[in-house]
Formats: sequence, structure tokens, C-alpha cells
Amino acid sequence: MDLVSILATVILVTTIGTMVIGIGAYGAFKLRDKRKPKKKIVDDLQGEKVANEPIFLKRYVPEAATDAANEV
Amino acid sequence: MELKQVSRYVWAITAVVGVVSVMAYLYNHARAMQGSFTVLLENIVLATMSYYLLFFLFLLILRYAILIFYSFMDHLEGLYKGRQKTTAIYQDDSLLPMISLVVPAYNEGVVIQAAIRSLLMLDYPNYEILVIDDGSTDDTYEKAMAVAQEQDKIPVRVITKRNAGKAEALNTGMSVARGEFILNMDGDSKLSSNTLRACVRHFDDPSIGAVAGNVKVINRENIWSKIQALEYVEGLAMARKAQSFMRAVNIIPGPLGMFRKSVLKQVGGYDHDTFAEDCDLTLKMLMRGWHIAYEPTAIAWVETPTGLLNLLKQRYRWTRGILQATNKHSQALWQPRKSGLNFYILWYMLFEGIMWPFSTLLGNIFFAYVGIQYGLSTLLFLWWLQLTVLDVVAAAYCVVIEEEDPALIFYAVTFRLFYINIIDVSKVFATIEEWRGNAMTWGKLDREGKL
Repeated sequence: MDLVSILATVILVTTIGTMVIGIGAYGAFKLRDKRKPKKKIVDDLQGEKVANEPIFLKRYVPEAATDAANEV
Repeated sequence: MELKQVSRYVWAITAVVGVVSVMAYLYNHARAMQGSFTVLLENIVLATMSYYLLFFLFLLILRYAILIFYSFMDHLEGLYKGRQKTTAIYQDDSLLPMISLVVPAYNEGVVIQAAIRSLLMLDYPNYEILVIDDGSTDDTYEKAMAVAQEQDKIPVRVITKRNAGKAEALNTGMSVARGEFILNMDGDSKLSSNTLRACVRHFDDPSIGAVAGNVKVINRENIWSKIQALEYVEGLAMARKAQSFMRAVNIIPGPLGMFRKSVLKQVGGYDHDTFAEDCDLTLKMLMRGWHIAYEPTAIAWVETPTGLLNLLKQRYRWTRGILQATNKHSQALWQPRKSGLNFYILWYMLFEGIMWPFSTLLGNIFFAYVGIQYGLSTLLFLWWLQLTVLDVVAAAYCVVIEEEDPALIFYAVTFRLFYINIIDVSKVFATIEEWRGNAMTWGKLDREGKL
């Protein structure tokens, strides 16, 4: 067997192998994504909880106003 | 089912009916000739694929030749401009405009402090940092606030809001920014110290609406990240530089893009309807006639996925996002006169996004079949060799231009040997899923804090 034939065989095996790995890895990636429903449910619940809250969570209150409120 | 989806299925059914009709005609023809239909069909399919792959190879060589040529022209232009005595407006420190750096952060607790501290070291006299905490569930806000409070020279503002995605966070940054220019980046990026000075000088030209920066991989720790490092170097030093010379930069990268605030507002900021909001925004700007410059010396160092599944997740999102953005502006695909350069930009994006991965996969299947069926595996080797030679030549050129580590050239061989085969499979599936309109989620990558 000459060098080109050996290299050709290596490339053939590698190409088929990597395509199979590619399909397998894609399947694994999709499976992993599907296996996160619990997190999604938690996020949805959190989403419902915060849906009625203002977008900016930390409201800015001027110091002077806070002091006045405390004095009252 | 939406009308658009129905029309896609109608097209697909028409194509299948067309192919079946051709096959039926050939079958009758083969019977009339008293030959073997199977052999005839195999010959036709193999011949068609051979011609198609030859055409694809021609396009590929043309693409490499054009990109390398224009990239080199852009390089020469850069060198020439560097030697000229400049009379730029944005040269004197006292005249430099204010720039707002917008850092969207969602669960970036591991990296946010390092990211902000690196921003405080930038060489520029007039800028502010805006950290937009996009409703993180970790300690991103607290950590960002800690750095903001210990800082008194450069204004650092931290704004927290309900989680609504990166696009919304960047829009929030745009609405509260005080600067005339806005630099949008990722929460996990690190910028080179010259970034602001290097980018802002492009705005001397009033036709420039935005500047795209250079992106490099910081975590070169295993073969996946090293190949990605080469991919980034090639993508920017060759493709982006060539696009810059042609005034046709088609993506302002998420990790580093500087905009005129007025232009950002004019195009309505980032939209929420694609998963590649940076590509969509760039296309919106191009459609309005703005030019986009590329600044190779402004560098954003980013962390890339080091595992295969995370890498596929990223590429899957990129592929679908770019297809969504292209589809959104698809009217330019059919109006060459009205769209001008945008017509070519969109077709080029479709070539890279759809035709390239499908064709390389088709080539592999075709040559593997011929190799197994007829013992002609040498053909597959030659197919692989010619693509690898193209990759190695491009890699060597880019490494020299970017003054990168020469060891990266070696990864051009491994890139073609296994990496791109795996990625292309994912891209093809992503394209099919996008065509079918499957639902998808954002899929934020987990950060390891390598900055």
C-alpha cells in the first residue's frame, strides 16, 4: 500500500467517523437542552411572580426624601 | 400554521414532485432503452453531484482569493493611513467626545468584576461605564456595585432590571447613556486599552455609523478553543478586513462594537425577534445607508466554549440567528438595484450560512460513498487535501497579518480533519430546524471566569 492509499483510508475513516460523531453530538446537545424543564418551570414561576413588578427593581429614592420620610 | 410556513411546505412539495417527475421520465427512458434504471440513476446523481461540487469548489477558491486580496488591500490602506499626518477631529484629548460603555450582564458574577476593572484601565479621558444587570439570579449586581462604589474617577453606573434578554439590556443602556458614542460589549469580554481611541477616530468620517472591533480568544487551553482561536483570527483578519475595504462589514460583533448614539436611536436600537441581535442591528444600519468600519487594533478578548456540546449550542444559535436576520431583511435579496451593496452582502451571508455547510457535508458523503462503493478513497483524500491547502494558506496569511502565534497554522489541518465536519452537521440541522420554524431558547453559555 502506498502512502496516498494509507492517507486516503485514514481520511475516509476520519470523515465518516466525524460525521457520525457530529450527528451524535448534535443529538446529545438537543437532549441536554430538553432535559432542563425543571429550570424552565422555575423561571416561568419567577417570571409570573415578577411580571407585575416594575422593570427597574432597585428604585432610586433621593436621600433628602428618605430623611424627610423618616422624620415624619 | 402560518401562511409563511404553509408556503415553505408548498415549495418543498413542489420540489419533491419535480424530482419524482424527472425520475419517472428517466425510468420510462431507461425502459425504452432497455437499460438498468438503477445504474442510469446512479450515474446521473453522481454526475450531478460532481458538477455541483466542482461549481462549489470554484466559488470557494474565488471566495478565498477575493477575501485575501481585499483584506491585504485593507491592510495596506491601514499602513498608508498610519503614515499620513492626520488632521483628525478626534485627536486632541480635550476635544475627545464622551463615550458610554454599555456592559449587559446576566449571571456574569464570575467575571463581572474583572470585566469592569479592565474597563477602568482604558486609555481614554472621557468615558463612563454602564453595567446593565439583566435580572441576574446570582450576585452579578452586588459584585458590580462593589466595584462601582470603590471608584471615584470614572463614572460607573449599575442598573438592574427585570430579565428581558441582551437586546433589551443594550437598549436600556442606550436610553440612559450620556455619551455621544456608545460602545456595546459583552459582560465577559476584556478590551485592549487602546480600544476607545482606536475606534472613535473612525467617526471623523460622517458616513460611518459604527465601528466593529477585533475579537480574540483568551482561553486557548485545549484543541477546541485553539481551533476556535484560529477561526476567529481567520474570520476577522481575512473576511472582516476584506469587508471593511469594501465598506461592507456585515456583523458588528457582540463583544465589541462602537456606535453613534444618534444612529442607534435612528434604527430603533436592538430588536428582539432574532437570536443574532448584533447581525440584525448591523443589517438595519446597512439598509439605511450607513457605513461600518472595522478596527483591527481594538481588541476584545473573549472566552469561548471549551467543550463540544457548548460549542454546538453556540453555533446552533449563531446559525439560526443569522438566518433569522437575513430572512428579516430578505427584500434586499431580490432588489439588486435598490439594495446596492446590501444585495451582495445578504447573498454572501446565505452562501456562508447555508450553501457552505450543506456542500461540504454533501462532498464528504459523496466522496465517502465513492470511496466505499468503488474503492476510490483517493478522491476523498484529494477533496480533503485541496480544502486543507486553502485553509492552511488562509491561516498562514491571517497569522502573519495579525501577528498571531504561528502554531495556530497547524490547527488549520485539524480544523478540516474533524472540527468543521462536526460543526457543519450542527449547522445543517440548525438550518433545517429554522426552516421548519422549530422553537428555540437563548442558550446562554456557562462562563468559567478565565479573564
